[in-house]
Amino acid sequence: MEIATLAPLLLVVLFGSLALGLWVGFALIAVGLVAMLVAAPAPASLVFATKVWGGLSVWDLTALPMFIWMGEILVRSRLSSDMFSGLAPFTARLPGRLLHVNVLGCALFAAVSGSSAATTATIGRMSLPELRARGYDDRMAIGTLAGSGTFGFLIPPSIILIVYGAATEQSIARLFLAGVLPGLMLAALFAGYIMIWATLNKDKMPPAEPPVGRREAFRAAARLLPVVGLILAVIGSIYLGIASPTEAAVIGVAGAVILASATGALAWADFLESLRAATVTTCMIAFILAGAAFLTVAMGYTGIPRELARAIGAMELTPYALLAMLTVFFIVMGMFLDGISIVVLTVSIILPMVTAAGIDPIWFGVFLVLVVEMSQITPPVGFNLFVIQTITGRDIFAVARYAAPFFGLLVLAVGLLSLFPGIALWLPGTMLSR
Amino acid sequence: MRRTLDRLYEAAIWLAAATFALIAVLVLLQILGRLADRAARFLDFPPLGLTIPSLAEIGAFLFTGAVFLGLAGTLQAGSHVRVKLLIQALPDTAAPWLGAAVCAAAAALAGFATWSSALQALDSLQFGSVSYGVIPIPLVIPQGVMTAGLGLFCLSLTDAMVTLVRGGAPAHQLAETRTEAGK
Repeated sequence: MEIATLAPLLLVVLFGSLALGLWVGFALIAVGLVAMLVAAPAPASLVFATKVWGGLSVWDLTALPMFIWMGEILVRSRLSSDMFSGLAPFTARLPGRLLHVNVLGCALFAAVSGSSAATTATIGRMSLPELRARGYDDRMAIGTLAGSGTFGFLIPPSIILIVYGAATEQSIARLFLAGVLPGLMLAALFAGYIMIWATLNKDKMPPAEPPVGRREAFRAAARLLPVVGLILAVIGSIYLGIASPTEAAVIGVAGAVILASATGALAWADFLESLRAATVTTCMIAFILAGAAFLTVAMGYTGIPRELARAIGAMELTPYALLAMLTVFFIVMGMFLDGISIVVLTVSIILPMVTAAGIDPIWFGVFLVLVVEMSQITPPVGFNLFVIQTITGRDIFAVARYAAPFFGLLVLAVGLLSLFPGIALWLPGTMLSR
Repeated sequence: MRRTLDRLYEAAIWLAAATFALIAVLVLLQILGRLADRAARFLDFPPLGLTIPSLAEIGAFLFTGAVFLGLAGTLQAGSHVRVKLLIQALPDTAAPWLGAAVCAAAAALAGFATWSSALQALDSLQFGSVSYGVIPIPLVIPQGVMTAGLGLFCLSLTDAMVTLVRGGAPAHQLAETRTEAGK
């Protein structure tokens, strides 16, 4: 069959099965199966098992359950309530005051958790009731949370970057380090926006909180020190090349268990529950990865990714024009698909075209994460929106409206990252490799 | 019957969870062994050489096995990702039928996956394929677990389809509704 008829057929199968409510992993398998039956000389039966087996039995992927588990343990600890009391006194003098707790809290929590939904839920359950009780503008409180919650994917450890690294055979350690500076840049952009907004909208800010004594403030902040230590140990050991990502993650799990049980917050039942939750999330992600492993090979047989790369190459776009085009494409995809599905579809179909254009695959991983972060806050399908709808009872379209300025800042961050690729590539370049 | 099936899914996912915990313990032992070696060298003792041979390979096999064992339980927990816009928009009379059709399609695809995986495991058994590492592991063991997990997944999807056709609400649907309502 000609590519001109095959490609639309596959698109119909993909989006048709997704729209009907077929699980994402199965939709990928279905498209792969149709592609194999129509275009491949090899029997699909053997290819499926070989590629899925080969794609999943990869040592690097064991970092996935470990990092998820570490986050699940800390979610069940007293970390989130400590976070509010520990961070709040230090934001009191900034314009926007406690609104910054959302940004700082999410950035800190993102450094122990690889998931945006977990980051949003944990920080939101603690900060939104506090902010509302103190009379902060609801729209701004919800918007900052929805935006900052997306840090979970960018600031290492990042589930999305593990998935991308495993699927493209890039170093996960380097990808993690590439995410650090863009993550901090994004946090600075969000904090800057809050300051400007608060200065322009003084009438919407509640009266100042009573000042907290210096000693009390430091005592509250000191409770966050063990977690900061854990973050430095996990990221630092990867940076120094002492530990592989899996080893760093296991250190993180052990540290999280010690921290949580030392504060008396982790009962045996919570421990088991955290393990079960990590298992469920890992199986969910791994099943999508399995579908993607099969789809990637099937797509290779059809020749569509090669053709696409050639067609784009023939258009002689500048890298900026190509990236702008891809950004728009991903934003549209992100309205309907979740982050991991976007990443695996990209790897199957778009990556050959990107590498042909001479774009660094590590840099592209960070670019992809930023775009995937946008997909978390665009309706009708955006996981951060679902989480916040659950916490606040506002419908997802309202939450998306409040989050719109932060969506704009994410687009700005993509622009900055494209103009200055060093923001992502400098830190991994200085890494002490083994 | 209902109870037996639910227990089966639950047992499989706990086995998966225990396997992930086992990976963590093995990696932790490896790190402690390395630290002990460093300490020994620092104190001028001969290194103890406490390493776990072929950990990377064994860990990858354990991971793969665990993932497939957990698939059915993850479905029961309503955690496999899907787009529910259309199913939610349909009237209550039509939605279960679309749900059942989707389950049937998924069960068929899972059946294909199980069959394909079984062929691979049989191949490994016939040719006696083993892994490359210091400890040669017969590949039929992890590949057999993968087949069993996929088979169980197929069973759980068929189970959900039958429940929907009979007018009931399958576990994954109840769990999805619970998550949307905020637990």
